[in-house]
Amino acid sequence: MMNEALIQQIIFDALESLNTELPDDKQIAIGPDTPLFGSNAEIDSLSLVSLIVDVETALNGEHDLEISLTDDRAMTREISPFSDVRALKEYVLELIKEGSHGN
Amino acid sequence: MSKDVDLISGEFIELRKLKVGDAEITMKWRNSARASLLNRASSSLEEQIAWIARRPDSEQNYIIQTRQGLPVGMLSLINIDLEHMRAESARFLIGDEEAVKGIPAAVESMKLLYDLAFKHYKLQRVYGTVASDNTLMIKWQKYLGMKEEGRLRRHYFIDGRFQDAVCLGILAEEYEQDAKPRMLALMKISSHKL
Repeated sequence: MMNEALIQQIIFDALESLNTELPDDKQIAIGPDTPLFGSNAEIDSLSLVSLIVDVETALNGEHDLEISLTDDRAMTREISPFSDVRALKEYVLELIKEGSHGN
Repeated sequence: MSKDVDLISGEFIELRKLKVGDAEITMKWRNSARASLLNRASSSLEEQIAWIARRPDSEQNYIIQTRQGLPVGMLSLINIDLEHMRAESARFLIGDEEAVKGIPAAVESMKLLYDLAFKHYKLQRVYGTVASDNTLMIKWQKYLGMKEEGRLRRHYFIDGRFQDAVCLGILAEEYEQDAKPRMLALMKISSHKL
């Protein structure tokens, strides 16, 4: 069963994986309020895509949820789901609750 | 080649033709840590000026700049072949990451280059190679529509060791059907109010 803590852990895991690709001076301080993409962001657009791919892979592959984080629903939100970890976690939860997955 | 395009305007950024006056800033970007996985950069300003001056007609080399004209990176379409209708995307580098925070500059740059290739030149295929250690770029290009077509083993000698070249490519219809919608979505999402 997918819950808030598990989704947050998936995002943290993706950020930890991203850190292994980044130089020492670009390491991301991982936490529930870590800014993601934006003017106060920790990560650039290459890293954002890496995060999206890793989170989608974990949700789709390991948890059998068919979720796309960059579909029309994300585009119509007033606040970007990629502004910070909390926003992304809440967005994933929302996608799951709305039954947008293939389970 | 008679189909030069000097300026391509997007929603967030522009691609404008590289000129000799860009030698200093492009040399600085190419010698930065961010460019460590690209081919060797010029070692002097004179060398960089000469390199820019001798770009052949088969290349379209661009500075990525903000809509206000601030240079933030570079991107090229090279080996443009109008017989076989193909070209190579190359020299992609966001040099001033701070200036484009919160702006989908990388995605829109690539979209504008694909528009140039597939709409303006009506090419069938765009391809490129990325050093195998450049895993973020490989992941990014694949997410935005390129497919891995093979590997050239020990193709690059970078950072004191050999690396494979990962060969990537995208066809015109793949761009229209898959890559472009995804790029537009990513641009919209990443430019949202925060």
